[in-house]
Amino acid sequence: MSNFKRAPQATPHHSSLLSTLKSTTMIESKPVLPAEIISRILDYLPIPDLLSFARTSKRMLEMVYEDSRWVQRLHAMGLWNEGEARKRFEEGMKRKREVMRKRHEEEAKRLGIGVQNGVGAQRKVSTTLFDAGVEEERQRRSQDVKSRVSVDGFETLTLGSKAQSPIERAPMLDPEALLNIFSGVRSIRGSARLEYGKIYAALAPFYFDLARSRSHVDPVIFRVYRDPEQQAQMLAHLTVFAKSDWAQGWRQREERLVTMIGVFENAVLREFEKGYEVWDIDGSMRRYAHVLGVLNGGHAGIELFVQKHPIFNEKLGNPMECINQASSDAIALEPSREFLESLAVKINEQANIIDRVFPTGEDVLQVFLDKVAEDILMEYVTPLFDEAHERNLTSYLKAVSGIFEQSLRFSLSLKPSKNSGDDFSEKTKALVARVFEPHVDLYLTEEADHFKKLAESEVDEWDKQLSEQEATKESFYMGNFNRQADKKDFLSSFKKVVMMPVNVLPTAITMPFGGMGPASKTTLAAPVPKSLSVPVSNPPSRPNTPGHGPPSPLPEAPTDELAAKAALMTSKLEGIKSLFSIEVALDLTHSAKASIERAALFVRLGGQTGEEAREQCEAIFVVLLQILGTRHVKIGFDKAVEHLSKYNPREVSEHQQGVAPLVTFLELVNVGDLISQMIDVFYEQQLAATKLADRNDFLDPAVKAKKKFEQMLDESVAAGLNKGIDVLMDEVEYLCATLQKPTDYNPLDPGPGKLMDFDIGPTLAAKQVVQLVESHTKMLNGSTDKNTLDVFNQEVGLRLFTAFCKHLKRQRVSTDGAIALISDTNLFYTYIRTLRNSDLLEYFKALRELSQIYLIEAKHAKDMAEVIADGGRFGGVFRAEEVYEFAERRADWYSVKREVERAMYGIGCGIM
Amino acid sequence: MSEGPAQTIVLQSNDNVAITVERKVAERSMLIKNMLEDLAGSELDSAIPIPNVNESVLKKVIEWCEHHKNDPQTAADDDSDSRKKTTDIEEWDQKFMQVDQEMLFEIILASNYLDIKPLLDVGCKTVANMIKGKSPEEIRKTFNITNDFTPEEEEQIRRENEWAEDR
Repeated sequence: MSNFKRAPQATPHHSSLLSTLKSTTMIESKPVLPAEIISRILDYLPIPDLLSFARTSKRMLEMVYEDSRWVQRLHAMGLWNEGEARKRFEEGMKRKREVMRKRHEEEAKRLGIGVQNGVGAQRKVSTTLFDAGVEEERQRRSQDVKSRVSVDGFETLTLGSKAQSPIERAPMLDPEALLNIFSGVRSIRGSARLEYGKIYAALAPFYFDLARSRSHVDPVIFRVYRDPEQQAQMLAHLTVFAKSDWAQGWRQREERLVTMIGVFENAVLREFEKGYEVWDIDGSMRRYAHVLGVLNGGHAGIELFVQKHPIFNEKLGNPMECINQASSDAIALEPSREFLESLAVKINEQANIIDRVFPTGEDVLQVFLDKVAEDILMEYVTPLFDEAHERNLTSYLKAVSGIFEQSLRFSLSLKPSKNSGDDFSEKTKALVARVFEPHVDLYLTEEADHFKKLAESEVDEWDKQLSEQEATKESFYMGNFNRQADKKDFLSSFKKVVMMPVNVLPTAITMPFGGMGPASKTTLAAPVPKSLSVPVSNPPSRPNTPGHGPPSPLPEAPTDELAAKAALMTSKLEGIKSLFSIEVALDLTHSAKASIERAALFVRLGGQTGEEAREQCEAIFVVLLQILGTRHVKIGFDKAVEHLSKYNPREVSEHQQGVAPLVTFLELVNVGDLISQMIDVFYEQQLAATKLADRNDFLDPAVKAKKKFEQMLDESVAAGLNKGIDVLMDEVEYLCATLQKPTDYNPLDPGPGKLMDFDIGPTLAAKQVVQLVESHTKMLNGSTDKNTLDVFNQEVGLRLFTAFCKHLKRQRVSTDGAIALISDTNLFYTYIRTLRNSDLLEYFKALRELSQIYLIEAKHAKDMAEVIADGGRFGGVFRAEEVYEFAERRADWYSVKREVERAMYGIGCGIM
Repeated sequence: MSEGPAQTIVLQSNDNVAITVERKVAERSMLIKNMLEDLAGSELDSAIPIPNVNESVLKKVIEWCEHHKNDPQTAADDDSDSRKKTTDIEEWDQKFMQVDQEMLFEIILASNYLDIKPLLDVGCKTVANMIKGKSPEEIRKTFNITNDFTPEEEEQIRRENEWAEDR
């Protein structure tokens, strides 16, 4: 047969020459299986048969004893530690070398001792050899079944030394010692079989007995061990041991074991429950919880403990109280606070009990808390939110954020038990997050919607009020306009408020948003009701403007001053009330702040929810800007511009110091600027400082919206100013036309002999014009951006110049009247100088020069001609022709014309 | 590779008997399967010689393959968990293995050579069942093993492993 030749080939290193020879001779007729297949077969053999097989021949012995076969079993039970084995092996090698050296020295003396026989090259073989004396001893003991179980004799084998040291007597292992059988297992290469043998000897009898037994009273294990603790320990051991059993039928055996453990577990659980019912914490509860822990981690006990815990039957608080105790659109958070506090106290008590009852290892408290969160918190929170949502949106919003805050604090007040990990606080926080997770989405949407609706309704309300006033508006304007003194006073105080902001605004305006800056942190830590006490919809009373917020760390004085000013300002802002109101803006920012602050709480949840909350905060800010901007400010500006363009000075009967629509508009610019600054502060404090929005991310929706808002404001201002200049000039022209008396520059001859009654000084018309222009340009100072202002001033100056030139060309100027004209031009010049615009100043310088041509006496016509022709004198502003045109306005022009023309062109004529 | 509905190949035993088998059945043998894959493309017109297996054994093996042709392929490395492979022998296989010992060994060797793992496992389990409960002497007889121990040595091994004796 071809087969027998293969056998030795397959395992050349295993077979000794002898066995090969023998097998070849014997196996003439029968096929022999190669070693690899035999090894495979051995895997399927139960331990006893395996060892019977070992006794058949040396080769088989070797195969059975092969260390990896046993390591595999230890490994299956989780008792093999490769690292430890390696270390031992190395140590062993070292010691072995040592021993070898010594032995060589003593070789001669010990030559006759038979024990040494197997010690040669094969380590494995040496360890299997036995001292006969011990063997005898052991046999004697093995009469008794139980002692046979426990005695194995391997205890005495020390692997490190190759020499068979005199064996000390194996201690008689009693059932007690078996309980800790696994603790003695060492990972030693070469002696895995011995280690496994120890375990097998200890556990196999119980194991197979159990597998054979029919009922739970049969198994020896329950007769040997009376103590539930020991029984549990043993059963746990058997569960582990079963993992190393893979001979045929292991499935049934394991099933049996599992069933038995189940029966046992149920019995223990019943005991535990009995103890639980009478609340015998340190007695039976503790005892049986530990038994269960030993058996299989004690999940069943924990489950029972948590499931049947009386806390879940208690009624700690009625969520409806929160609603019932409060008015329709508010929520009372006191009941929920009490509820959470008492819950925290109870849980902390339970944590203590858990520590006393349960063994270390399992985080029972966490399981308990999970259940509490699900059954108590959820049960409390969900109906409350649902009910609140149904009744009133505002109270819903307040309830969600308020109770969330309370719950977070509740989670912080919980104390970890001994078994809780380091991440206890993280876990409790996650717990709260889980409770609120189903509500967050709805809440955030509602919050944004709510704010949007609120803001819109506020603006609408205001619009409605406005349209009611529509009828009386015109007279209102006029009446308002008549209160000149008030207006002026208002403007000055208003300006103070507006000017102040450069340094005060960032802090002072912060007030209404109390707790935005450094205070916000304290708000979070402080009791919630405080932060929630800020009413969402402020009653539309004056004092809701600055100074209303909670006390702030800033000095009181500026706050009060600003508050006073603001109140004053608001009362005086009536003039622009029909356009837009700073009060509305403040209200809007206020409610935006409340909404954002509530929503921002959820940002701390982190993860996707946190991100959503953050986005929602930004969205609220964007909505704020949109409504405030397009719905409120822009409409106001548009209206103001419309008023401006409709303005016709000739239709207005009374002309006082200013152009009413323009004044209104300029006020608007100021208020708009104030609002813009307010928004900026709001953004900085509420979004940027709290990291809700990234200031440097130009794609951020909040930043974009803010930019857009500012841009819109600038555009509106620019458009308005453009119109404003037209109107202003119309007014200037109107003033010139109406106030300038023909005698101003051309006084009547008082008659011969009488001295000219020289009224030195500017004329009324010029004074009025300058005052008008000045008052309007000054109003803009500091409220719009410098470039706009410069452009505005330049334009105003130029137009003023043109207007005056036009006006002058309609006048007749006598030599005597020239004094008045010079005074006028001087007045203009002085005014223009305050604008600090050198280009502009050139024009008025030229104008001043020009006025001098009227001063020249008629007899000096030649000089006059020189002046007219001298372009350099006017800095290039007037050409000679233009100056000539002005000269034509001389009262005595026709008498001097010839002279002048002759002086100018006469020379030329002569040449011609 | 063209997958005909019932593509067949021819196997030739060491006593020169050609047996026609459905390809799918033959592919239970990883040896043949791999070989066919290596030969993919080139036409298989000649018989595949199976030099270590005689006709009767080969037929027996093919019978097994025929019965198990629709079994899911086992992963190559199921040695990792020794428990996985230790399922009980199914009934058909038990009957199939009711052959004389020589044939049993031949089947095991053939399945080993042809690399048919499930069949090898069934064979090994059957052998293991034969060993179960037997004394060393009985085992020796069954498996034709020569005892190269002295009685003392044998006794010593017995004592050494007394812990495992059935009680």
